[in-house]
Amino acid sequence: MSPSLLQDPEMHFGAVTFFAKEHKGETCGSNGLPLTPNSIIIYGRAQILKTIKHPNLCQYLDIIRGKHERTVIVSQYCGEQLSNFLNKGLFTILDIKRIAYQIFSGLNEIHLKKITHRCLSPENILLQENNSIKLFNYGLFHMTDNGKLVSFPIIQLIYTAPEVYLDGVSGNLSNPKVDIWSVGIILAELVLDKPLWQSLKLGQRIRKILSLVQGNTSVFERIAREHNCYEKYQDLSSDLKVIIEDCLNILPQHRPTVAEILKNPIFDKFKDVPDTNRSKICDKFEKFTIEELYHWWQLAGGEVLLELKKQGLIRSSPPILSVPKMVLIDGSILGQERNPSSLYDPRVIPMPLESLYQRFSHINTYSYYPLIHFKSEILASVEPSPYDAEKLPLVIREKDPEYQFHRIILFRRLLHGYPYTKQEIFKEAKRDIPPLLRGSIWASLLNLKSNYEQEYTVIDKETPTPTDRQIEVDIPRCHQYNELLSSGEGHKKLKRILKAWIYKNSQYVYWQGLDSLTAPFLYLNFNDEAKAFACLSSFIPKYLHNFFLKDNSAIIQEYLAKFSQLIAFYDPVLANHLQTINFIPELFAIPWFLTMFSHVFPLHKILHLWDKLLLGDSSYPLHVGLSILAQLRDTLLTSGFNECILLFSDLPEVDMEQCVNHSLESYASTPKSITARSHQNEEYEEITLSDIQSISVQQLNKEKCPRICVNDVIALIRNSPNEVIIVDIRNPLQFNRCSVKGSLNIPFSSVKFGDINIENIGTYSTVLKNQEKKIVVIVGTEDTNLELFPKYLLQCNVAKVCVLHGGFNTFLPISPTILVQNQM
Amino acid sequence: MANRTPAAQRPNGSTQGKICQFKLVLLGESAVGKSSLVLRFVKGQFHEYQESTIGAAFLTQTVCLDDTTVKFEIWDTAGQERYHSLAPMYYRGAQAAIVVYDITNQDTFGRAKTWVKELQRQANPNIVIALAGNKHDLMNKRMVEYEEAQAYAEENGLLFMETSAKTAMNVNDIFLAIAKKLPKNEQTAGPGGSGQGRRLVEGDTGAKTAGNCCK
Ligand SMILES: Nc1nc2c(ncn2[C@@H]2O[C@H](COP(=O)(O)OP(=O)(O)O)[C@@H](O)[C@H]2O)c(=O)[nH]1
Ligand SMILES: [Mg+2]
Repeated sequence: MSPSLLQDPEMHFGAVTFFAKEHKGETCGSNGLPLTPNSIIIYGRAQILKTIKHPNLCQYLDIIRGKHERTVIVSQYCGEQLSNFLNKGLFTILDIKRIAYQIFSGLNEIHLKKITHRCLSPENILLQENNSIKLFNYGLFHMTDNGKLVSFPIIQLIYTAPEVYLDGVSGNLSNPKVDIWSVGIILAELVLDKPLWQSLKLGQRIRKILSLVQGNTSVFERIAREHNCYEKYQDLSSDLKVIIEDCLNILPQHRPTVAEILKNPIFDKFKDVPDTNRSKICDKFEKFTIEELYHWWQLAGGEVLLELKKQGLIRSSPPILSVPKMVLIDGSILGQERNPSSLYDPRVIPMPLESLYQRFSHINTYSYYPLIHFKSEILASVEPSPYDAEKLPLVIREKDPEYQFHRIILFRRLLHGYPYTKQEIFKEAKRDIPPLLRGSIWASLLNLKSNYEQEYTVIDKETPTPTDRQIEVDIPRCHQYNELLSSGEGHKKLKRILKAWIYKNSQYVYWQGLDSLTAPFLYLNFNDEAKAFACLSSFIPKYLHNFFLKDNSAIIQEYLAKFSQLIAFYDPVLANHLQTINFIPELFAIPWFLTMFSHVFPLHKILHLWDKLLLGDSSYPLHVGLSILAQLRDTLLTSGFNECILLFSDLPEVDMEQCVNHSLESYASTPKSITARSHQNEEYEEITLSDIQSISVQQLNKEKCPRICVNDVIALIRNSPNEVIIVDIRNPLQFNRCSVKGSLNIPFSSVKFGDINIENIGTYSTVLKNQEKKIVVIVGTEDTNLELFPKYLLQCNVAKVCVLHGGFNTFLPISPTILVQNQM
Repeated sequence: MANRTPAAQRPNGSTQGKICQFKLVLLGESAVGKSSLVLRFVKGQFHEYQESTIGAAFLTQTVCLDDTTVKFEIWDTAGQERYHSLAPMYYRGAQAAIVVYDITNQDTFGRAKTWVKELQRQANPNIVIALAGNKHDLMNKRMVEYEEAQAYAEENGLLFMETSAKTAMNVNDIFLAIAKKLPKNEQTAGPGGSGQGRRLVEGDTGAKTAGNCCK
């Protein structure tokens, strides 16, 4: 049955909770900004823990901030505490050696990452059904900045090394050798099969440890004697005994490092066959991961805080009880009861998974192995989608556990095959992108290379530059409502990425807004700075080519001119109104395009917008701009200049899904040459030939309607003749000699441009009037005025007017078949 | 947000009160608190994490001076030097400017002086310029002496105040002082003149049309 796939004994998680230290008195830092709450600093510091994956370590899954500086840590939690197995004669010496080996392996992994456990104890060591070991809670000391961010000491009584006590319990001794001591004590307990000094009170136990400092015989031996286990000590084979005695050296510098211990031959038999043969390019494939299980659990209604409340770990006490008796003018507080819950509570609450199992019980085993490649298109098209949610709104799909199950299973397979699966990823991303895998999916849509990490590592991100000041004042103003980006880690990372980008792209400079542009990538790849950088580095050339030149005015001017033309093309009424009140895109659209909207929308909206942006080219943002205007259309049409500009100074709520759909529609139905620019990056866009892009900005600004290139016109005539009207404005003589089949002749000279009335153009006015569907292509010659007539149509509110670039003669060499003689 | 514009356009009861509209621009180095000053003045708020300004932002606020209602059309500009090329578009035709520096940062004061020079050379010759030394609440980190700035302001005929967008100190006052100093002898059209923005646009000779109110 299928649930068995989910019900893996190691796929369980639990939560612990504690309070971060509150800032007392002073609330402002030296820069005048409020001090970052310690819980946010912890939140930022703990993120990196989520990346640590090792068979002997419980994986960190989530960090949640509750009220009043509460921090909740969610982590893999499976098996049983080692302390439960003591005193039962359960372990042979071989077992103990294996356990020792696995503890050291786990420790080695964190020590390599410069993380000290500092609260190792048999409670924090979990024995699995298959007899392997996982360390738990190893990140507490690191995430609290060596204990500085919490008000309780991070110690484990007898397992804590004596130098920690001598340093003062509030000290933050972080020498990894303290962990070696702890393992020594734990191994001694295992060998002697006895919890040590159990009958003593807490304070006495600490005193016991300190008393060990005196005397120069073996600590292990003294412990054994004290617990009446001298024989066990004596009988112990010397190899293990030596290790324990080494670990229990009083002087930290005499204790071996984990790496040294692991070299000991007694562990050789536990070492895996070295997997040197495994390909480096390809990570091991897993059907799904514990992060994903946690994600589905949450979508299926799992709530960590709720579970903690149910189990009594979070208790709400009436607020009146926490009111201080006296507050001094300097802000210090007197007579406030110390809340016992502000102390460390070691309890771990396992999260119940039954309801998730239930919810997913009907999912077939083969849903875990979706078919990706079909030999036959026909087969592919009849394959039903595993869970039909397509018609639901995006926000609902993202919250639907089952839908996300299928999407994630599918995408993780596709991502595993990247770059060979690029096309499939693109195709699936068109539907939607599962939020959990968004970072990786974006990276593949941006064609990230596998060596991105090396590239980032070698870039100088530290040397001070004159730009630093600007970056430093911008970062604390960049999406600070977001916990990741407002944490100290977030600030540091953002600064490094920005500096790296500027260093790497010496032809460009830092423009305010680059910070906002980087934010989504950092947010999605918080634990992989290099990837965030690589994403930014491939995003900019594609969508913002040359926007960050020191003098970018030509690029921006052209972009804005194209934007104006696009508005005129789709919404002449609005365009005319904005023109009348002189409301030009320069006044409001620069932050839109320069930051691809990342400066104007909150992160969650940017993510949905960029999900689609990444599937399009650099003209897509123009359509996004258009659809924002469309949403505000009614207000704009009834407003004057001041009201309009006010509206944009503080952009009202924009319905992102509607905006995205609207922009995708116009993007798809707009011939490419309409939005072609001379400054677009040729590498990314197939240019529909001709020199349509070589028009100067001055010229562009004069032309109210966009140009279209001959290929696009011919494609329209051939593929969708009912969606195009060709208006030939040459004189009747020329028209009769040769013209496009079915085109209308409205000689330029026959129109009185004086007053704005569509009837003035004669008999064809009814055809042009009141139509919105068809593209109206104005065809003239080099010497007919190609500005006046389209402008006139625009003023008469005729939609979708464009001008054939190069005039009638461009048809001749390319496509004589659509031309006829004597049409009149 | 059009309705944010205060209803004070009809001054309390009196129908014969004058209504004047002035264009005011804020200039100064990035992060000195330009946007914060405007936010304080217009909405009475302060955001610690005020977003940076790209391009420019536009807001309006009305103040009452005796029998005159003064409506400020405020352009808050981007501080970064790079956006400098956009600045003339905003100060052209402005009747008033507030040049802001941060009293905890000497460089920003230097930058403020450059702005003053540029305005004196390029802007409307009758422009009223005020110098604001912002972040007064961070006094213990002061790097620009009050006297120094005061002397400079006097030399150049500028209004001068130290302000704090955070505590609201002198924020309304500086706008009021500007309002007082602006010439209001000739009354014009009145509120709701859509199309006022025209003066902003290049090609429209800003300086000429700009003065058509209150001159
Ligand atoms: N302490 C203090 N901080 C301020 C004051 N005014 C602005 N700030 C802060 O300074 C930073 C920059 O302000 P902002 O208004 O964005 O500056 P702008 O770039 O000149 O518009 C923000 O973090 C503000 O919170 C002030 O009067 N006192
Ligand atoms: Mg600003």
